[in-house]
Amino acid sequence: MATATNGFKQKSCGVLDEEEFYKCCRLLLQQSEQLRDGWSWEAVQGSEGYLKKTALRPVPAPQREEESGSHPQMHSTCNPSPQPPQEEQPVCVASSDPSSSSDELEDEDDNSCWVAENIGLMFQFEYHILYSCSYAVPVLYFRAFTLEGRSLTLGEVWSCVHPNFRICLQSCPLNAISQQEHPLLGQPFFVFHPCRTEDFMKPMLQAAQDQHRTVNYVLSWLSVVGPVVGLDVSLNYSLERLPGAPPCSPRQH
Amino acid sequence: MADDKDVLRDVWFGRIPTCFTLNPDEITEREAEPYYLLLPRVSYLPLVTDKVKKHFHKVMKAEDVEEMWFEYEGTPLKWHYPIGVLFDLHASNTVLPWSITVHFKSFPDRDLLHCPSNSIIEAHFMSSIKEADALKHKSQVVNDMQKKDHKQLWMGLQNDKFDQFWAMNRKLMEYPTEEGGFRYIPFRIYQALSERLFIQKLFRPVSPEGNTHTLGDLLKEMYPDALTNDGEQKRYQVLIHGIEPLLETPLQWLSEHLSHPDNFLHICAIPVPTD
Repeated sequence: MATATNGFKQKSCGVLDEEEFYKCCRLLLQQSEQLRDGWSWEAVQGSEGYLKKTALRPVPAPQREEESGSHPQMHSTCNPSPQPPQEEQPVCVASSDPSSSSDELEDEDDNSCWVAENIGLMFQFEYHILYSCSYAVPVLYFRAFTLEGRSLTLGEVWSCVHPNFRICLQSCPLNAISQQEHPLLGQPFFVFHPCRTEDFMKPMLQAAQDQHRTVNYVLSWLSVVGPVVGLDVSLNYSLERLPGAPPCSPRQH
Repeated sequence: MADDKDVLRDVWFGRIPTCFTLNPDEITEREAEPYYLLLPRVSYLPLVTDKVKKHFHKVMKAEDVEEMWFEYEGTPLKWHYPIGVLFDLHASNTVLPWSITVHFKSFPDRDLLHCPSNSIIEAHFMSSIKEADALKHKSQVVNDMQKKDHKQLWMGLQNDKFDQFWAMNRKLMEYPTEEGGFRYIPFRIYQALSERLFIQKLFRPVSPEGNTHTLGDLLKEMYPDALTNDGEQKRYQVLIHGIEPLLETPLQWLSEHLSHPDNFLHICAIPVPTD
């Protein structure tokens, strides 16, 4: 069921207020339940809360040699230097054993050494969708662990981002992923910086308005940012109506 | 006003005398002496503790040294909070100097953000400034600034240069006269001993009727438990930069003069010590 929550109020701007956010989340949840897509609502102190989903993702395949130098260095959103930080934990767990089964072991390349160790294994990703009242947009928080419970570093997370997305993100530091404190849980998470969300949502909402289509802001936004970090949004979400759902009319303001 | 400028200086140059002691479980080649330092309230731990790191590295082997982190009475200190906020929240009514324990291993990465370089601090700092401006000016002022202006704000903080910082920051403190203040006030209220990290919500400096909102009005709306009712004993101290401003103080004035360099008003509500 498409929602009318983003009727006329949002047509001239790319943002939404907190009430709208919660409405969109509720609708997304309903659809998720129908599609068995795994989203849940975590309530925090009364009416506040966030959408949550966990997913297992395969550890990415080893990168080609020429690519391998480029990805672990997104620890800093402002520093273009490709130096890995000194205090960073070495990614490679095993020594470079010549008898190892993988032909692609590179002694000096920590990343593919580690990846070769972990081929066939999975990471556990956890995604949270929160509302930012400062920017009046949803924000995607996520973190990832190995199955043994070790937190992934930003470099490792970055290696899970599709190379095409990496190029776009690297050129715009403010669109980049950085580590921040989860505002409700207080734990370190990775975040997509929300300051550009309004910019890409505006034309989308305008187009929907022009075509008299109603839009679930959170769902549309998620379909843009989610895939960058492996969170796929099924096309089934955009089906017009769930069985039994009533038709809706644009909200009057 | 000359007085108000003095307030800006007093805030900027606030210091906390601190004693850094190495965690006794660290492996050292000889005994580590504590290290004393005056910490700027408005800065961030990793930005001002290079000397601490060097001091303790001297008595340790390179292989025993990993990312440095700090702890106070068992609580890992969040480096991304301004130093003054950490002190007010955890140690405000204790005897000086503030005693911080230094660690070089077992980084608690479920509790603390990593800080591998100063550019991480810069990114975090600029991110706060941008968020504050989103609230104050719908990001118009910060977006109109050039990259070198942003850099000036950061360099001012990093190098403790008040004039350099404020030459640029004053733009972030302006507002259209007819508005009477910012669109919303950037603030965070931290409650000691609470499940909740902090309260941050939308709040205007002026009511729809045109009344100036005060610190008391903010607390009444966001954290009424912090206020003392008539006849009751005072249960909470409401601290900004280690002092208790009068509840009648206009919030707009507080935002312009008592914000941290990140442009946020960081307010700590701590229980009144009972002894």
